[in-house]
Amino acid sequence: MNEQSSLTVLIAEDGATDRLLLARIVREQGHSVITAENGAQAVALFAELRPQLVLLDALMPVMDGFEAARQIKLMAGQALVPIIFLTSLSEEQALVRCLEAGGDDFLPKPYRPVILAAKIKAMDRLRRLQATVLEQRDELARHHGHLLNEQRVAKAVFDQVTHSGCLNAPNIRYLQSPYALFNGDLLLAAFTPTGEMHVLLGDFTGHGLPAAVGAMPLAEVFYGMTAKGYGLAETLREMNAKLKRILPVDMFCCAMMLSLSFERRLAEVWNGGMPDGYLLPAAGGEPQALVSRHLPLGVLAPERFDEHPEVVSLALGDRLFLLSDGVVDTCDQDEQLFGVERLRQVFARNRAPQHLFEDVLQALEDFRGQSRDDVSMLEISVVEPQTLAPPPLVYSDSGQSSPLDWSLSFEFRAQTLKRFNPLPYLLQVLQEIHGLRPQSGALHSVLNELYTNALEHGVLALDSALKRDAQGFAAYYQERSRRLQALQEGYIRLHLQVEPVAGGGRLVIEIEDSGSGFDVGTVLARPVLEQRLCGRGLSLIRRLSRHAEWADGGRRARVEFAWVALA
Amino acid sequence: MAVEHDLSPDGNSLTIRVKGRFDFGKHQAFRECYEREPVPSKGVVVDLKDATYLDSSALGMLLLLRDHAGGDDAYIRVINASSDVRKILAISNFDKLFEIT
Amino acid sequence: MSDQRIDNKVVGELREVMGSQYAELLETFLADCEKRMVQLRDARSPRQLSEAAHSFKGSCSNMGATDLAELCRQLEVRVMEQPAHGIEDLISQIRCEYLEVRPFYVAELERVSPQAARHPV
Repeated sequence: MNEQSSLTVLIAEDGATDRLLLARIVREQGHSVITAENGAQAVALFAELRPQLVLLDALMPVMDGFEAARQIKLMAGQALVPIIFLTSLSEEQALVRCLEAGGDDFLPKPYRPVILAAKIKAMDRLRRLQATVLEQRDELARHHGHLLNEQRVAKAVFDQVTHSGCLNAPNIRYLQSPYALFNGDLLLAAFTPTGEMHVLLGDFTGHGLPAAVGAMPLAEVFYGMTAKGYGLAETLREMNAKLKRILPVDMFCCAMMLSLSFERRLAEVWNGGMPDGYLLPAAGGEPQALVSRHLPLGVLAPERFDEHPEVVSLALGDRLFLLSDGVVDTCDQDEQLFGVERLRQVFARNRAPQHLFEDVLQALEDFRGQSRDDVSMLEISVVEPQTLAPPPLVYSDSGQSSPLDWSLSFEFRAQTLKRFNPLPYLLQVLQEIHGLRPQSGALHSVLNELYTNALEHGVLALDSALKRDAQGFAAYYQERSRRLQALQEGYIRLHLQVEPVAGGGRLVIEIEDSGSGFDVGTVLARPVLEQRLCGRGLSLIRRLSRHAEWADGGRRARVEFAWVALA
Repeated sequence: MAVEHDLSPDGNSLTIRVKGRFDFGKHQAFRECYEREPVPSKGVVVDLKDATYLDSSALGMLLLLRDHAGGDDAYIRVINASSDVRKILAISNFDKLFEIT
Repeated sequence: MSDQRIDNKVVGELREVMGSQYAELLETFLADCEKRMVQLRDARSPRQLSEAAHSFKGSCSNMGATDLAELCRQLEVRVMEQPAHGIEDLISQIRCEYLEVRPFYVAELERVSPQAARHPV
């Protein structure tokens, strides 16, 4: 801004001599000049020609310089049009009037060309500074508008993905800021084909776009694998591996994932870096904390990742409460954290379960006097499974090439059983049978029960009686995890046979394990409630299939499904 | 300077001291402490005695340091963390990656 | 002549800055002076008188007529004071002073533009 720019200068002065002299001086300095003989002319010329600088005599006929200055400043708006008053006014009062009318400087008579040149230069500097500021402000506003629009579009796309799940299920309540995506907060929920509910509450490091980019791939893996029937462990492993692969080293995602089986009344819980979640018992009493035991997703290499969940038993009416760090990390004016204790007090005081979110928000507001935009909360109630209707599976083929006469045998041995869940693959294959599709939910559940029994009670020889109370329940799953890791031998054999029969078809599933079997008669004679608690789910299998029987001292199960041909 | 570092006289161990809030504002200064020199043989010590607060971007910075110092083979100690800071490290289970004392 | 009455340094600057328009400036000033003399004579209110004195003072100071500018300043102030006395006296002093300095500007004009000076305003 060193070079002197050529300006258009308006000179308003009623004395012809002074006007002529001033115009000459200003022109000599390389500017173009327009002249007015009074204030009214000056205002009119300003409106027409928009000069960049104005030299105004204070006392002029028709309209004086003070009024002209006010009108010119008004027209100039936010742009700076410097006004230099031409005056030999000596009283303080008059100088104050000049400033109040919007004058930026004075030039006394007699005019000194050197002084005037310096003043014009200084005023031009100010004028250009102001213009730059305005330009930058407008550009910022444009960029901001642009950014907001991009966020809106990104959020719309992302909402399409998140809401493809089951966040609208009747037993889920959640609260999430509309800016959650750009705080890195993420909330996903979906049903598996067997009716388990998978839920994930996540929090990416950072804010803004970097925090939002990881959400898409994570959601994709979550929904893709849940829909295919993969369990919590496999899904976590894949999500971790994917984030580790795509995110920079210093980015990760704190996450809490649940797999809820309302049929079997249990939840698998995995918490990596999120604040404690809570199981709020329907019967009242202390909330059970669901503590972070793992590193966040995207930190560890796949071979070091630990996907082992905790398993908690659920009772009808229990509620699971998950929250983001926006809740406990809310600070008051003195940088005190809201903290876990205050949250527990809210739980204790809460009388109306349906108002828990409001109670938490109220407590936060009372604590700090303002709300944060990164508070996410999620609550899932334990309900009867039949009150939830998992969405029907969508098939993209017509079923015309449906295979109808085949059989298939597998033997899964120890090293495979440790880490691999074959059910999604088997279900994929069975979905090719068009006539079975209306029963696919039942088929998934039965296969799941059969496989779980064969693995846990057969190969791992776990005693289902352990699961009689909550402590035993936890012990059971710890033991399951321990034995699975130590597993050296054992097998599960599976035989699927599909054959056409008159008017339809039939599927026979035979499953056999290397365990020592069980006393079928005794287990089947137990009351249904106890059977459910102890987990073998034999009555469920019988209820959902056309025919089920056990042989070989409980080591082998044979289950049949049948269907009628579709038109 | 809110992030200081010095090399032990034998040159085998680097100590980085973070003062005040350990958040994204310290990103540049923290990286500069270790990026210019090769990783000392006895590893790196991060002294949080005067760190009042730690956020998730600070956790990210610790991961970057760990990566620079050899990833799974890195030996990094985080010392003198206040109870609030330790809580944050504990929730994220960073004790599985760093020696926190 | 008139070393005390006229600031030669200012006049020198005027010549330099006005260049080819110096004659036009002198003509304009002489015409302005006549106009102001009429205004001083015919003013109907102290305010009109003060304004005329104020404007005249400005151009006189710009043209280097230092004493004339000073007399105008005194008049400008005096008319707004109560009681207003000695006004007539000041006006006639201004008239005398104008008649004293006018020949200098006419001579300047004659020097730079003989044709223009033949028809002084």
